[in-house]
This record gives sequence, C-alpha cells and structure tokens, in this order.
Amino acid sequence: MSDSIEAYFTQLAHRAPDRLLRRTAGTIRIELEGPGEVDVWYVTIAGGRVEVSRERRDADTVIRTDRDFFARMARGEAKPLTGWLRNDLIAEGRFRFLMLLEQLFPAPPGARHPRALAGGRGEPR
Amino acid sequence: MKSNLVRVLDGNIFVVSDDSGDIEATVGNPSGFFDFDTRFLSLWRLTLDGDRLHALSMAERDHVTLRFFLVPGAPTHYVDAKSSVIRERSITGGLFEERLTVLNHDREPVDFTVRLDVASDFAPIRAIDQERTPPGRFYQRIEDGRLRLGYLRDRYQRETLVWSSEPARIDERGLTYTVRVAPKQGWTTTLRAQSLVLRPDGRDIREQLDRRPRRSAAERQQDLAVWLDRAPQLSCDWNALTEAYRRSLVDLASLRYSPLTLPDRSMPNAGLPWGATITGRDSILTSFEALPVASELADATLRMLGIDQGTVLDDFRDEEPGKILREFRYSELAAFEERPESPYYGSADTTPLYVILLDEYERWTSDSGLVLEAEQETRAALEWIDEYGDILGDGYVRYQRRNEQTGLRNQGWKDSPEAICYADGRLAGPPVATCELQGYAYDAKLRGARLAREIWGDPAYAERLEREAAALRERFDRDFWIADRGYYALALDGDGRQVDALASNMGHLLWSGIVPPERAEQVAHHLLGPRLFSGWGVRTLAEGQARYNPLGYHLGAVWPFDNALIAWGLRRYGLVEEAGRIAEALVDASRYFHGRLPEAFAGYPRDLTRYPVCYPTANSPAAMATGAIFLLLRALLGLEPSGEHLLMAPSVPPRFGRVELLDVPGRWGRIDVIGIGLAGPRA
Repeated sequence: MSDSIEAYFTQLAHRAPDRLLRRTAGTIRIELEGPGEVDVWYVTIAGGRVEVSRERRDADTVIRTDRDFFARMARGEAKPLTGWLRNDLIAEGRFRFLMLLEQLFPAPPGARHPRALAGGRGEPR
Repeated sequence: MKSNLVRVLDGNIFVVSDDSGDIEATVGNPSGFFDFDTRFLSLWRLTLDGDRLHALSMAERDHVTLRFFLVPGAPTHYVDAKSSVIRERSITGGLFEERLTVLNHDREPVDFTVRLDVASDFAPIRAIDQERTPPGRFYQRIEDGRLRLGYLRDRYQRETLVWSSEPARIDERGLTYTVRVAPKQGWTTTLRAQSLVLRPDGRDIREQLDRRPRRSAAERQQDLAVWLDRAPQLSCDWNALTEAYRRSLVDLASLRYSPLTLPDRSMPNAGLPWGATITGRDSILTSFEALPVASELADATLRMLGIDQGTVLDDFRDEEPGKILREFRYSELAAFEERPESPYYGSADTTPLYVILLDEYERWTSDSGLVLEAEQETRAALEWIDEYGDILGDGYVRYQRRNEQTGLRNQGWKDSPEAICYADGRLAGPPVATCELQGYAYDAKLRGARLAREIWGDPAYAERLEREAAALRERFDRDFWIADRGYYALALDGDGRQVDALASNMGHLLWSGIVPPERAEQVAHHLLGPRLFSGWGVRTLAEGQARYNPLGYHLGAVWPFDNALIAWGLRRYGLVEEAGRIAEALVDASRYFHGRLPEAFAGYPRDLTRYPVCYPTANSPAAMATGAIFLLLRALLGLEPSGEHLLMAPSVPPRFGRVELLDVPGRWGRIDVIGIGLAGPRA
C-alpha cells in the first residue's frame, strides 16, 4: 500500500497533469494516517508544475485522511469533495485547494468520451 | 404546494415558513430552516395555551428581518383578543434567530403556557418534495439548557442546536415556557437555532476553512442600504417599473452568496428554495442581466465557475474537460454519490455562456485583467464546444447524458424530461441539438475572437474562431430554418431531423445574432403572435402544439428571464416596438406579485384569467427572474457599450412615460440615461 502512494507522488512530481491551471499557486499539506503513524507530504503547485516534498513548509490547505482512502483517490475511484462531505477526509485552510486537488488525480476508470456514447444511439424514448 | 410561504435569507441560509411563522414541512410544503443544502428544522410550531396562532399581519420589508403579528385561535368572527404574539426573525451571524413576545392586553395578570414544537428531518433540499426514508440514525439530546437534534450516517453528521434566552423546560420535542405576564405588559424570549456540519472531532467542517464570519442582521441591513444607494437610480412615470426595479435590487442583494471556494466575493445563487446553491446557467445569466447595475456579480461568477471547470471525463457527473458546471451541492445525496451534483456538469449551454459573459463583462467594465487571468479557462471552454459539445461531428452542439440513472435527459435551459418535442408531441431522440445552443456557440466564438484579438494578442486564433462562427451561421440557417412555416426548428434530433415544435427558444437566437436580418421579422412575428404570446409574455411552447399546457414548466409557462433575453434580442435587430411590448407585458405582470417577477407564471391567455397565475412550484425569489427587469430596462433604453462609451437609444412605449436611469456605472464612469415614451400614433 505504501508503495502505491509513494509511486503516485513520484509520478506526480515527474509529470504534472496538463490540465493544471497555470496561475494556480499554493501548497497542500497532505497527512496520511496509517497504522501507528502519520505520513506527511507537501505538494506545491506553481506555474503549471508540481513539486513534491516531505520537508516541512507553510501550507495553504491541510488535508488529512487515511492511507486507504488516499489510495482510492489516487486511482480515480474516490473524489476529494465527496470524501470531505462524508468525513472520509478532513480539510483545513483554503477550500479551493480541496477542489484543485481533484486535478492531481486521474479520471474515474471507464469514463467515456461523449462521441463514443453517441456511436451507439438509442436511449429509450 | 403551499403558496403563501414567506422567507428570511442570507445567501444559502434561509427560513421558509407559513404566514404565521410556523414551519410544518411536508412533501407539499417545502418550509424549513435550511443551510448547506440541508433542512435543519422541519418543525417549528408555536402554541399559546395549546392554541395555534393566526396572522393578523406580517411585515416583510426586505429579506433580512420578518415580523409576524399573531393572535390565538382560529380566525372567525372578530373577538377582541386578550393576548397577542409578535415573532420577529432574522438570519444573523449564520444563525436563525427569533424574538418572541407575548403581550397581555387584559387588566389582570395572566399565566401563559408557551410551547414551541421543534424537530428536524435533515433532508437534502433536493429531496424535500419526495417521500424518502433516510438511511442514517436520528437522535435528540437535552444538554445545558439546549436541545440538540442530530443525524448520523457513517461518519456524516449534521446537528441542529436550539436554545433560548429565557429559561424553558426542554424535552426532546421542543421547549415549554410557563410565564406570568402582568396586565398590559409583555414577556419576551429570544430563540436561536444553529446548523452544524460536523466532523468526527465535533467541530464544524466549515469553521476550519478560511472564510469571513457570517454577517449579523444589522450588518446586512447596512450592506443593503449601501447596495441600494450605489445602484443606478431609476425613476419612471409608470410606478410599476420603479417598484419592480427596487424589488429586484433588494431580492438580488439577498441572493448574493459567498461560496467556500471564493470566500471574499459574492455571486448570485439561483433562487429559493430549490436553487440556493452554486449554479452555472442561473449565475451566468443573472450576472449578465445585472451588468448595468452590479457588474461585480459577473466577476465572482466567472472566477468561481473557472475554478470548478471540468478537467476530466467523468460519466457519473457528465463532466468533460473545459465544461462549465451546472450545479454544486453539499447535501447527503451528493456526499454519498446518490446524486451527481459534486458538482454536476450536465448542461450544454453553460460553457458557451461563460465565454459570452466574460466578453460582455469586459465590454461594460474594461476589466481586461480578468480576461487575461481567465485565458486558459476560456480557451478550454471554446475548445469544449468543438471537441465535446459537437457529439456527432456535424458542427452542432448537442447533449446526451452518460449518467443514465441520475443525469438529466435534457441539458439546455429547458431541462425537464419532455421539454424538447415535436409539434405532434413525440420526444426528440438524443443526442439533441437545440437551436439556442447553436446561437450561444456562434456568439461565444465571435466574442472569444474579440478577446483573442484585443486582449490575448492572438489574431490567428481570432480569425479561426470567426471563420468557424461564419460557417456555423450558414450551416445553421440551412439546417434549422423551416421554410414553409417561417420559423426555426426547436432542435435537430439525433438523426438530424428537424424537431418542429414552435417554442420560445428561437427568441434567444436574436440575442445571439445568428439570425440573418431578413428573417428577424418573421421570427418576431411568431414570438409575438397569438400562439406564443399570452398577453403577459412569450410562452415556452406555443398553443396548439401537442404538449402545450399553460401549466407546463417548459411546455407553456411564461418565464420572465426568457422574455428578457428575447426582448433584448428583438432590440438588437431594431425591433423596438416588439421589444417594448414584451417589456410592458412583464412589468404589468409584476404588479400582481408586489413587483417581484416569479420564476415562471402560467401561459393562460391574458383575456381568460385577467391576471398572471403564478406557477405552483416556482422558486421565489428566483435569480434569473430577478435579473430580468434590468435587462428589460436595457432593452427599453437601448444600452450598448461601445469602446469607452455607453451608447443609448431609448425607445419606450407610451405607458412608461418618462424613464430615467441615473448613474449607470461602467468603463465610462457613471452616466445618466433618459427615455421618454410618447403617446401618439404607433409605427
């Protein structure tokens, strides 16, 4: 489990999602609760780039969740916003970074392009 | 559905009750104390010595405070009441506060038992008109003189805390006071109810976020005074217009709301009770309508919707990259993904409308800073039109839901399931291209081209957009025009067939400018003809179409915002007399609603009902209807920013007399506009 989260952050630092807005700038402190320990990551976004670090720094938003839920978000299976509404995730500080966090995670598995759907016409009338 | 409901509100926190101040929510009575898309009180019922109270009168000056004057017992033959009750309520600092006064008019001291029954169903707003069995667990606790009502589902927790300034006996179902009131004296207590959105450590999840404290009622009253003072001043010989203008300003002020994402700015929410949230279409169109009076709403709306712009393909949310959202909710249904509003992107008009608003906002304000900041979002929105909106690759914006369980079948502004139909009543098969969507796409491309050329410094992109717009205009006229009927098809269905119902949608085409000038009069002729024009406004669907129903939400009712856009479109084509007729009809209708245009009213012919019949479940106030009066004024006065100037070409029907709009703000500073409706032979 820890490997997959580490791999996610490595990948994030290596290649920022291209949908990230250029003028978004800020730092998110991510606290991941595991058995007996809390793992802390800092994700700094600036100029369309992402820097991942474990060194303490000021953050605009703090996100706290357990490792399992974070792993689900990292696979695109769970959303930060609905997680926050259900208390699967706690957010403090600037709310907009909770929304922007979505841009760091992949799309839900199996999503279709609208044109792919229209290929097979015929919704019941 | 009860119609005599009254409300106090502060953005997305509000109380809806009957005219005695009681809340007794049922499926047909959407009253309650609401916050964060959830009902926190569904019962709030006052009795005096076991008797219900009845309203003598009610004072509703604005949305900040509300005062009820009540007497015990049923209203029968007049009996001098020996006691009476005053309830005065407000939303203050985010709390629901009610000051309760019992007056003894007798010459003797009287012992009263004052009882307030209190309960909450913690229902999501979306579900208050349906029977629903909540999956979570309810609880009630009495602690330190407070009543705590709660709802828990997994870790999701909502609570309502109720307390009182005077000592009360508290049980799990309410508060009881036993008081002795001296002759000719009164007794007063102040009740407060607080909504709590809790996390497991007992804190409110919203309090851990950076945001301004909620303002007190006094601060909001002050703010309202400043808002009214800063708005352009209207005077008109026809008092109905002045009243509707003032009412709309007050309502618009009350609908302003600071989302968590944008805590320092205010955007309009869509309306009460169903739309008190972040929406795409309603916020954009309301902001567009309100540009002559409050351009800061557009600024907030554009920023907010830009932040939440779609970034990925997500079937459940009907999300695509670049798409502007439809609706954002924080309720239990959104939290557990029973509904997709987290946020939901199922509307095909919001994305081009976003570009249109940005351009229009800059033309009024000269705020090129926002246009530069929003360049990436705007390009993504324009890209969406071709890449994801054009589902069949034939150059038309269409929609087809990928979320077939809880997504919307229709994704234009007429989004009820049967709204898009043929004249004979058959429904259009997906993916549907409604006509107004093509107008918006055309307009968005032209406006995007202007921004690209003048502000982003990208003439090549501007030329490309203009070429695409010109091609769309030509294609559209060929494919949508029904030559033998002289109007535009409502839509093309998934097989490219013309959906031939006669509907109001084509009025928006005039606003967009996609109609060739030689066709405009024919279009106007239909819009103001007896089948579409009821006498109070343009119906959504024409009389004589198989699905026409005067009470059909999108199938016959008259929508003020729809009419305002149509009037503005007619004006754009120089059809001033037609624009004036619509403006006059709507202002006339507003007189029956104390100056407040409802979201929609019934499409009955005017000579049948003599007065406009309110649509039964409409939002009130509804933001887009609230904004309609500003756009109608703009149409009457012919206001159009041009370079650094505001062009004006008033053309006012005689009934209005003199119309003066003073201190219209914009890039020109402030300017006065005066129009005079002259009696005399009509053209």
